[in-house]
Amino acid sequence: MSLVASLRGLTVVAGGRTLVRGVDLEVVAGRVTALAGPSGAGKSVTARACLGVVEVEPGVTEGSLRFPPLGDQDWLAPPRAAGELRARFAPLRGSYLAYAPQSAASALNPGRTIGRQLELAVGRRAPAPDRAQVVALVRDGLAEVGLPEEAARALPGELSGGQCQRAALAVAVAAAPRVLFADEPETGLDPVLRRQVVELLVEVGRRHACGIVLITHHADTVARVADDVVRLVPIDPEAS
Amino acid sequence: MSEVVRARGLRRRFEVPGAWPWSPARLVTALDGVDLDVAAGEVVALVGRSGSGKTTLARVLLGLEEPDGGEVHLERVRWDHLPERTRRARRPRYQYVPQDAMSALDPQQTVREHVVETLAVLAAVPRAEQGREADVLLGRLGLKHRADALPRELSGGEQRRVTLARVLALRPRLVVADEPTSGLDPDRRAQVLGDLLGNLEADASCVLVTHDLDAVEEVAHRVIVLHEGRVIETWTPRAGRPAHALTRALLDPWQTRGAS
Repeated sequence: MSLVASLRGLTVVAGGRTLVRGVDLEVVAGRVTALAGPSGAGKSVTARACLGVVEVEPGVTEGSLRFPPLGDQDWLAPPRAAGELRARFAPLRGSYLAYAPQSAASALNPGRTIGRQLELAVGRRAPAPDRAQVVALVRDGLAEVGLPEEAARALPGELSGGQCQRAALAVAVAAAPRVLFADEPETGLDPVLRRQVVELLVEVGRRHACGIVLITHHADTVARVADDVVRLVPIDPEAS
Repeated sequence: MSEVVRARGLRRRFEVPGAWPWSPARLVTALDGVDLDVAAGEVVALVGRSGSGKTTLARVLLGLEEPDGGEVHLERVRWDHLPERTRRARRPRYQYVPQDAMSALDPQQTVREHVVETLAVLAAVPRAEQGREADVLLGRLGLKHRADALPRELSGGEQRRVTLARVLALRPRLVVADEPTSGLDPDRRAQVLGDLLGNLEADASCVLVTHDLDAVEEVAHRVIVLHEGRVIETWTPRAGRPAHALTRALLDPWQTRGAS
């Protein structure tokens, strides 16, 4: 069991409202941690704080976040101004920390081929791979999510929605991240597709030994794939 | 029971543009000979994979889209070939709840104004009674304390309930709702569905397009399963488990094959 992220006592306040209070989250390599709870419970806010992208001031007011493989640094230590956190986390995002988006079509760059976007993501690995390694990693990355090699030459607009989602997942894990956040990857999908998307995400994340944080509304998904569950409850009862 | 919807042999094909202006268009068959009956007071769910034709069928039933073939009768009146001018007078009876609530609401109108305007323009309720009737309806939908809020100040569930309030204000004979609960968490899904079905007139019918088979199992009299534009099963939840493998997979996607 290797701990890849440890969040302690996260409190986020925005616009005078407390969005989350005292949230603990431990992410272990190769395990799926479900972040569950109703709308407004702060699931996305928690994930965003772990990625250093809480925009609204004052944002994070309390809490510590450690990534043990990177040493004992507290990544949420003051000063916690939004711009400050953003800059602090910049080297981690897209390398140590990955994010599988809900809407793949809007997360991919419409003007770059899938292959080029994968190359850029692969290039965030440390140590930087040489040219031959990049080519191999791009090929393997596509195969892993079940896309044909020709997909490398396609622009996102030339792929179907499902293919885009696979490509976005390939991009997310291309830099060999240790923590993979997936924010409601299932929303709006039909039930059969829902299972396929979650299974692929978990399978790919596990193969890369990522700790997976899966934000979801679906109790059946939690029951089937989650190793650990962190359940959040809304703080403000009037938000319905 | 009297019939509210009778649709026979509905066909609809689309030209889907390619990815780029110079790519060839593809022809997609959304409906390939669909029959559908809905009786007064009946709740019928339309389910199926993405792209199976659910939304197209919902829109064709109400004449928001014209079929390429087949007939739609609403309350025994041939509906699909009526000119819009003739339809308009009857439209308040047949209402549509769109999938994307936020784009259906007027960003500059308050919750109450949405309902009052509907009562004034479409239901011809006298001015003196509009406000009171709106307040009663908003009260029943739990929106009273949000009556003066603008759509962007509302939560997702509240936005849905405003679209419902507007439709229910007309006391429609038929409501066609396109995924009224998508994107909501389970508690709010049940709440919104209850708000819709619980506030319909007793003999009004509802056609519900949804991915949420758990909820449908409890409220729908019949579940129509579409696949590639055809009805592959009509399932009556009260009569037991569905027969078709796809219906079972939609009902419990994790049950077939081993878990991951």
